Amino acid sequence: MKLLNATNRFYIIVALALLLVSSVFLVYRVVYVIDMQITEHMLFKKLQIEKQIASQPELQRRSFYISDLIRVDTISKFTTFKVQIKDTLMYGELEEAEIPYRVMTYEQEILGDAYRISISQRLTQNRDLVSGIAITFLLVAIDIIACFYFLNRYFSSTIWRPFYRALDTLKRFDLQRGGRVRFEPTEINEFNALNEELVKLTDKVSSDYRNLKEFTENMSHETQTPLAIIRSKLEILLQADNLSPEQLEQIRSTLDAINRLTKMNRGLIMLTRIDNEQFSDEEDIRFSELVQRRLVDLELFIQSRELHVETELNNELVVRMNPHLADILVSNLLSNAIKYNISGGRLEVSVFSDAISISNSGKALTFSDQKIFERFKRGDAVDSIGLGLAIVKRICDHYHYFLSYQYQDDLHRFYIQFTKERRNIT
Amino acid sequence: MKILIVEDERDLLDSIDNYLSGIGMSCTKAINVEQALDCLVKEDFDCILLDIGLPDGSGFNVIEAMQQKEHKTGIVIISARNSLDDRLTGLNIGADDYVTKPFHMSELIARIKSVARRRSSQDRKAIVFHELKLIPDEMVMYVGEKMLTMTKKEHELMIYLISNPNRVLTREAIAEHLWGDHAEMADSFDFIYSHIKNLRKKIVDNGGKDYIKSVYGVGYKFAAE
Repeated sequence: MKLLNATNRFYIIVALALLLVSSVFLVYRVVYVIDMQITEHMLFKKLQIEKQIASQPELQRRSFYISDLIRVDTISKFTTFKVQIKDTLMYGELEEAEIPYRVMTYEQEILGDAYRISISQRLTQNRDLVSGIAITFLLVAIDIIACFYFLNRYFSSTIWRPFYRALDTLKRFDLQRGGRVRFEPTEINEFNALNEELVKLTDKVSSDYRNLKEFTENMSHETQTPLAIIRSKLEILLQADNLSPEQLEQIRSTLDAINRLTKMNRGLIMLTRIDNEQFSDEEDIRFSELVQRRLVDLELFIQSRELHVETELNNELVVRMNPHLADILVSNLLSNAIKYNISGGRLEVSVFSDAISISNSGKALTFSDQKIFERFKRGDAVDSIGLGLAIVKRICDHYHYFLSYQYQDDLHRFYIQFTKERRNIT
Repeated sequence: MKILIVEDERDLLDSIDNYLSGIGMSCTKAINVEQALDCLVKEDFDCILLDIGLPDGSGFNVIEAMQQKEHKTGIVIISARNSLDDRLTGLNIGADDYVTKPFHMSELIARIKSVARRRSSQDRKAIVFHELKLIPDEMVMYVGEKMLTMTKKEHELMIYLISNPNRVLTREAIAEHLWGDHAEMADSFDFIYSHIKNLRKKIVDNGGKDYIKSVYGVGYKFAAE
């Protein structure tokens, strides 16, 4: 829910509740006041009738109607001294329906004679008033909601616009691609403060990221020369005639460690180089051909493990990307699928019209699926650095390809979707 | 074979000098562009090993200076920057090959010799070691007068071994030479073993001597005695 909608919803609910309560109160209050006035009015009529009868002898000792609403009867003796007031329904000719009346009946002595007088008063004002009030309040409620709706749109498009712009800018902010976020100054202090902090934050993050990247790059490059020195010295040492088997073993294991370090270094350099966009030139790569070439390169290793290779190569898949990265992508996935395969296992390579899929037999992972593309994560029992898939992931991220991994029916499956829309794996 | 080594890192410079001298190459050392250009004026070299990042300029400057006049010197770039751009730039302006630090000494030598062969005249292209003779680009080996056919990898391996006589060669270095990035495949050592076994058998069966010695736990050594 939008922030504005959330606050507005609250305001509207409160406003409507207040309207309802106040309209109920108003109705009761108005009805009460009118009631009082009607009764007063009737009492006033009572006095007038009394005066009228007393002053007009032709009215005395007779029964008559003063109007439809006032009836005077002479009675022989009093039955009650009370003034009875009751509300009742009577037929209204104007409305052609039963309408509420108030009837005041009392017995009174005027100039020694006894009279029963009943005064009726229409009560339709009440009903009209209540419905009037209800309609008015309904209109007010509609006005309020409409008003909030338009205010909302107005706020969204004016006052809150800088906020949504800032949000948009942040969404487009890509650490890997660097760049700085910039916001237009606004009239709202809070937004300006927010934007200022966002600029500071992203600048800091960018500069930290740059430094870290530079550090990794420098570190990887600068270690190469010392590594070269160590390796060369060890290889010279290895040529000595009088080495004991123990010494040979020491040199060999040191060389092994150097080899590992070298590979790690090269992998890290590769990762930083993809980050640094140093593979900008692009060509149209036909994946079916690329896959076939790499399968030939690896044929020896495939044969030695007696892998059953199944290929399904669609010639239509042509992707525009850096040829070196395409090569690394395919090589890394294929060698991964061979390295972690079991003897006599399956190797399935499929090139579809918009995706590739490489599957291999093997035991389930000893770690969670999500971690498979992490740096230095590798399966057991294989002598590997653990950067191959991290590089694959980085390449896919770089080109916004969708890379996924799945383990099903003893098959590890890597799937790359080259189009931007994602599709579920079938 | 006369080699000029241009490298500003003293220790590495000495190592290369030591190793190359050990197999009978004659080395001259230079630690910057100025010294390198000096040496090139005074002498002719078969091959120059050239670092790109030098204190007083880039190794590319040396190549550009060399290209000013005709020369027969092979150029192998040694660079810490395993960048494709450097590689392409180097090869474009006249370098013959490119190795990335840290490299195996045996690999460096194989490259130097390969570059030298490419630069030399047609009749000197054959690689000869006692009764063995290999011709690059042809998958055959002569043992005396007999011609043996071999696979591409066996051929590559044989040239590599002959290029590095009397040196202990580690299995890692051999694997990397034969399979490059795929060398880390777990069974690559087994393939080296079977290739070597095949080669030995072919040579010995055809009356050649077994020059390939195993160095226990480490690798192999190609030696006459």
